[in-house]
Amino acid sequence: MNRRPSPILEHGVVSAAGPMLVFSLYLLAAGHNQPGGGFAGGLVAGVTVVLAWAAGGPDTVRRIVPVRSSVLLGLGLVIATLTGFVSLVAGGAFLESGYLERTLPLIGTVKLVSPLGFDIGVYLVVVGMSLGLVRALGGEPPEEEVGS
Amino acid sequence: MFLVLIIHAALALAVVATRSRLGRSAFALGALGPLSLLVWLTTKSRSIVDGIAHRESIEWVPSLDLVLDLRVDAYALVFLYVIAVAGICIFLYAARYFGSDPKVGTFAGTMVLFGGAMVGLVAADHLLAMFLFWELTTITSYLLIGYSDHQESARSAALHAALVTGGGGLALLAGMVMIGTEAGTFTISEILANPPSQSAAMGVAWALVLIGAVTKSAQFPFHGWLPGAMAAPTPASAYLHSATMVKAGIFLVGRVAPAALVAAAWWQPTVLSIGFVTMVIGGWQALRQNDLKLLLAYGTVSQLGFLFLLVGSGEAKLLYGGLALLVAHALFKATLFMVVGTIDHEAGTRDLRRLSGLRTSLPAVFWVAVVAAASMAAIPLTFGFVAKEAAFDGLVKSGVGLIALASFTSILTVAYTGRFLIGAFGGHHPGHEPATPVGPAPRNSLVWAPVVLAAVAAVIGLVPGLVAPTFDAAVEAASGAAKAGKLVVWPGLVPALGWSMVSLVIGATLVWQNALVQRATDVVGTVSRRLPSADGAFRRGVAGLLSFADRSSGLIQSGSLPRYIAIILLVAVIVPATALFRSGISGGSLPVGGLLEAILGLLIVGAAATLLFTTRRFAAVLLLGGVGYGVAGLFAVFGGPDLSLTQLLVETLVVALFALVLRRMPAVFTPARFERTMRIVVAVAVAGFVFLGGLVAFSARQAAPVSDRYVEMAVPEAQGANVVNVILVDFRGFDTLGEITVLAIATLGVSGLVLPILRTRRDSP
Repeated sequence: MNRRPSPILEHGVVSAAGPMLVFSLYLLAAGHNQPGGGFAGGLVAGVTVVLAWAAGGPDTVRRIVPVRSSVLLGLGLVIATLTGFVSLVAGGAFLESGYLERTLPLIGTVKLVSPLGFDIGVYLVVVGMSLGLVRALGGEPPEEEVGS
Repeated sequence: MFLVLIIHAALALAVVATRSRLGRSAFALGALGPLSLLVWLTTKSRSIVDGIAHRESIEWVPSLDLVLDLRVDAYALVFLYVIAVAGICIFLYAARYFGSDPKVGTFAGTMVLFGGAMVGLVAADHLLAMFLFWELTTITSYLLIGYSDHQESARSAALHAALVTGGGGLALLAGMVMIGTEAGTFTISEILANPPSQSAAMGVAWALVLIGAVTKSAQFPFHGWLPGAMAAPTPASAYLHSATMVKAGIFLVGRVAPAALVAAAWWQPTVLSIGFVTMVIGGWQALRQNDLKLLLAYGTVSQLGFLFLLVGSGEAKLLYGGLALLVAHALFKATLFMVVGTIDHEAGTRDLRRLSGLRTSLPAVFWVAVVAAASMAAIPLTFGFVAKEAAFDGLVKSGVGLIALASFTSILTVAYTGRFLIGAFGGHHPGHEPATPVGPAPRNSLVWAPVVLAAVAAVIGLVPGLVAPTFDAAVEAASGAAKAGKLVVWPGLVPALGWSMVSLVIGATLVWQNALVQRATDVVGTVSRRLPSADGAFRRGVAGLLSFADRSSGLIQSGSLPRYIAIILLVAVIVPATALFRSGISGGSLPVGGLLEAILGLLIVGAAATLLFTTRRFAAVLLLGGVGYGVAGLFAVFGGPDLSLTQLLVETLVVALFALVLRRMPAVFTPARFERTMRIVVAVAVAGFVFLGGLVAFSARQAAPVSDRYVEMAVPEAQGANVVNVILVDFRGFDTLGEITVLAIATLGVSGLVLPILRTRRDSP
């Protein structure tokens, strides 16, 4: 970058990043019954990453998402695939939905559906994609390995 | 039988696993494979010869009706005996043939694997299982021929063999699928019992099967790969390229000939013609070779042609002699290959012009060679003679033309046998440096392995009654005809004897008048070099294919991104658009919307229209984003909050990523006039097609939309009220898994392409 980004912008983005990431997690968790889902949630997190890059460059990105993109991509694919196999082991078809219903103290009835695991995988892959593309196209030569 | 196959597979693994410790002794371990087969055969052969086929079956892929059926009848038994006996001798021979090359263990393991594949090929009673084993022999053959992979010639010979036999294998597979579909079963014994009747499709199918057999057994015009395959170490040549693999095609035509004759009238004349042409070409070429191994290879081509026509004709009386000759050939040709290997090992050359004095320095090898060569030339009291008399007897009964042609090739056979013996064990030619063995004569399996094989041939040559019942049963199993021929030491004064004696005498004269023959072959050789040869055709074919691939990929893979996109888009438009216009564009009413839709529509059209007139890249990207936001708005209006949300986010991310890339490009774009025109054409075509297609698709619906069912099933099946999400993670979860995999791969691809560029820039500012 040939000019220093504005500190006000940078601070603004960093303070907004937390709520945005929380919102992305909310979309992820709510997606099964309301608008949202892993893809939409991942995109919100991805937009956060792009904003952070625009406001403060690679260092700011690293402060907000301190993981390598390849880790997110790999982890996401592993989680998504494993969820599929869980249904298979439980006697259903690959990726068939199952659910657990429990009443927890204070919170109330919670219904845990297996597609949530799959959606988490999708979420991680989408975030990993945004992170990887921003790192690569963002143009600062990386100090470490690919996608760091 | 399964046990034998499993033993082969396990042995192959064991040999490869312990290769560094065993060295060339790995072959001794590998010999247990054919030995286990021999043991199995001796315990079962009595009942099989009595006419009770041995069967075993394993459900393999039940959903594809792929059952691993094994069925060993007397016909298969003959081939299995050849595989076992030749296998044991050649494995033990190989244990002394190789030096201390680290790759020897892998070679031994591959050879064991080949042996197992060959057993499976012969024993399989299911067309597709047989094909799998067939291909496995092709692959192992490729690896074995290419053993000396540091030599370009060995690699190209291996590739040649693999391409020819592999291509034939594909034809075979197509033929098998057609036959199996027509017959309603892939079980070979059932197809033979109830063969599909004559039709155009079956004619094609049997032709394809024949191509498979012709390539595998090195028949004209595909025979060129076999002499090339002599680049393989001698044990592989002896085992694969004389005794077993090249017999696979003959096994196949013999097996299917009765069914093929039902469906294809041309089968018999075609098989006879191919066989005869191969016989003559091979015999003639053998007379011109100076390399002993190549001489034997062309001799093998010639003999294979003879076997091919005898076994593949579908006549029981020819099949009888053919099977006997096949066994005789395996025995004497494997022996002679091992003899050549030993000569090569001891004298360091196979050039018959240089070899000298081997009769005194390798006496045992000499006498083995004489016995085996006598069998090859069909001199009385050898098994070669017994078998050839049986074959000639059948040919005499089939017509004077056939026997005359066969006798002519017999003359060539006698002549090249003489050339082999005199060349190997006589003196060196004037003008060539003589080569004699350096050390003392070997006293290990280099000598006694061929001795054993020659002894087996000698015993059954003198007492053919030992094996005659097996051949009777084999011919009956394959063709249904009992007592189709006989094996006797001396046939008496029959016409067949007259033909073979005449050819023997003329052949012997040719050996005696060697110089005359040489001059004749030289003259014909210079003429025939100008004629198109199978080898040249193959080489030109491969070269042509490569240059075609080079030119076509140069045209299509130009490296220009706009051109790629144009090609993709045009294909995506032209193919469905053709279907659309052929079916006729019918009706379709424009959906009418409200005020909100109209405003959004205007926004989209306005952004798109402005886009056409901007030349600043960044403005173009923003306007594109505007189009996207408009579409997101439309989604929201039509009641798709999920789609709308996703569209909005994707647009945002894409614009941002675009911005990152655009920093590195000129701010303004000015495409050339021609390119601009092309882009307009492509854009109009795509837009017009999407518009028309959408309109037609809406009014063309006949079935109930699949989404109705999805909405119904979402809560009870997947416990989710958001149908879009349920579709993504459950109903079409597999698709989503594929898509996120693509995302991950694309990201890694972009990183892999961009990061090295950035790194070099950083390192060299």
